[in-house]
Amino acid sequence: MFESASRGEVKDTVSSGNGGSELHKLDPSDIVLKTESLTLGFGGSTVLEGVSLEFPRGSITSLIGPSGSGKTTFLRSLNRMNDKIRGYHRRGEVLLDSASIWDSSVNLLQLRRRVGMLFQRPNPFPMSIRENVLVGVKAHGLAKRNDFDEITETLLKEVGLWKAVSDRLNGSPFSLSGGQQQLLCLARALAVRPEVLLLDEPTSALDPFSIELVENLIAKLAPQVTFVVVTHNLAQAKRLSHSTAFFFQGKLAEHGQTNQIFTAPSQLDTQRYVSGSIG
Amino acid sequence: MSSTVVPTERHDQPDANLRHRKKGSRSYPGINIVSAIAAIIPVLALLAIIAVLLSESLPAIKLNGISFFTKFAWRPGGTYSLPIKTDGILHPVGSSFGIWPLLAGTLESSGIALLIAIPVSIGAALAVVKKLPKGLSNGVGFFLEILTGIPSVVYGLWGVMTLGPTLSRDVFPFIANHAPSVFGFNFLKGNVGHGEGLITSGIILAIMVIPIISATTRDLLRQVPTVTEEGGTAIGMTDWETTKKITLPWVSKGVVGACILGLARALGETMAVAMVSGSVLGTIPSNLYSTFTTIAATIVSQLDSALTDGTGFYVKTLAETALVLMLITLLANIAARLLVKRVASAGLPVGRGV
Repeated sequence: MFESASRGEVKDTVSSGNGGSELHKLDPSDIVLKTESLTLGFGGSTVLEGVSLEFPRGSITSLIGPSGSGKTTFLRSLNRMNDKIRGYHRRGEVLLDSASIWDSSVNLLQLRRRVGMLFQRPNPFPMSIRENVLVGVKAHGLAKRNDFDEITETLLKEVGLWKAVSDRLNGSPFSLSGGQQQLLCLARALAVRPEVLLLDEPTSALDPFSIELVENLIAKLAPQVTFVVVTHNLAQAKRLSHSTAFFFQGKLAEHGQTNQIFTAPSQLDTQRYVSGSIG
Repeated sequence: MSSTVVPTERHDQPDANLRHRKKGSRSYPGINIVSAIAAIIPVLALLAIIAVLLSESLPAIKLNGISFFTKFAWRPGGTYSLPIKTDGILHPVGSSFGIWPLLAGTLESSGIALLIAIPVSIGAALAVVKKLPKGLSNGVGFFLEILTGIPSVVYGLWGVMTLGPTLSRDVFPFIANHAPSVFGFNFLKGNVGHGEGLITSGIILAIMVIPIISATTRDLLRQVPTVTEEGGTAIGMTDWETTKKITLPWVSKGVVGACILGLARALGETMAVAMVSGSVLGTIPSNLYSTFTTIAATIVSQLDSALTDGTGFYVKTLAETALVLMLITLLANIAARLLVKRVASAGLPVGRGV
């Protein structure tokens, strides 16, 4: 029987950022992912300087800020997607369960299984819908062949696609709508039972209805999975996240509970950005 | 009513008016005629070629009959003695033609060429796009393009002078001596010859075909969306898994097309094969090193003597031979299209980025 990652029992304390009725409570002492004075850059330039952030298990964190403020570079560093990019350099640490992700003992493939990613544009693979769901499971040898059908069904049901695709599991994913494709990619990412999912503007290419589907799904999954979401959609950050980090001019300008960032920011730049005067 | 309204509107839109008068705009009628002519020329050319080949080869088709495809013999007959008439068709005494050895030689040499060229081409394209540092990648790409431009007669000369003799002295004997004596491997054994033959032709053809397949594959690989490949990386797939399961399937349709393009080149290649095949008529290759000939090579090597046939029957037979070659190439293209269709219906995003 396939189970999705079932950690992060919901503990008491700390209300969610927007005081949101939908978001679950977090244990602020249970930190799954943490950056320490992370400085990132390409070639001679520094993109982001000295970012220290903590991500409690099961939390949803929005990364907001103008284009070019280093959000995506930061996000992609959390599962070492930038490692192969020419000229990439970094200082500081990223700790996953208190262990450096850059330690030589880290298995990069395992790291990416634990810290998954969903991209701005849906990126189904050129294989059947079923294979798309199973590709990571097979690559990591997470299940036996007998369980594949059940896994496919469980995951597609989890992301709400089952009804739409159950009769064409062996069909092409490219016949699906953009929103459905993104849900399929989410199912694919969830299939390897990640602890953290990094979302890079996951809904910016989707229609409003699909956006709502994806957001509801994230909120539903959050107790089991920790989400870090880069978004340009401030309303989304407000709706969705426990805490919000505001990146500005290559620095982490402010980080706090979403509610506080949007109603009582401590920095002038944050206030101007969330009110729409800059950005 | 409307006729009075339209001019008024035009006056209100001076820009649109101006555009209408400009040379080369959509209202310029000449462009339609020119493009129509341009479009019809290739169609007419193909039809004309088929018509001429058919009408020229008709007597040969009639006289050679269906056994043309099964016979081994290639006998022009006594072109200096008096011709005779069979079924109303004038031909030299004792002439008898069978295309089977040419057909077999054509298919075998092209098959060998593709067997070598496809993995090398795809490997080279992957290396150029994915692995090599930019400078080296550009260098290799440059050499591949140069390779396309080398005249086939140069390949042929190199094959005859260098490649063939070297292989038959240093490589073929080793293979022939060490090949297992079991059924299925016998074609590797036997007399290795002097370097002119099936395998040498196959290798030369492969070298000629590699730039065609690899250049197309390289261009296709460059169009695979980065975000799709990164998706594989992000889920913890290795580079090789990503290549095998995402990148190559993404371009499969185009690569099949490129391979068919290469096959067409190999099937029709004339001069290089005429030079390194050994040009032996009337037998099919008995092993990998046998001398042989192909349809295209035969047409060019036999044309001179065919023209000495006063009845014209030999030339007509060559026309029939050419027709067969055209049909094979056509069949290869149709097969490719069907194959691509099958791949497409398997749910792959073929055609994307192609």
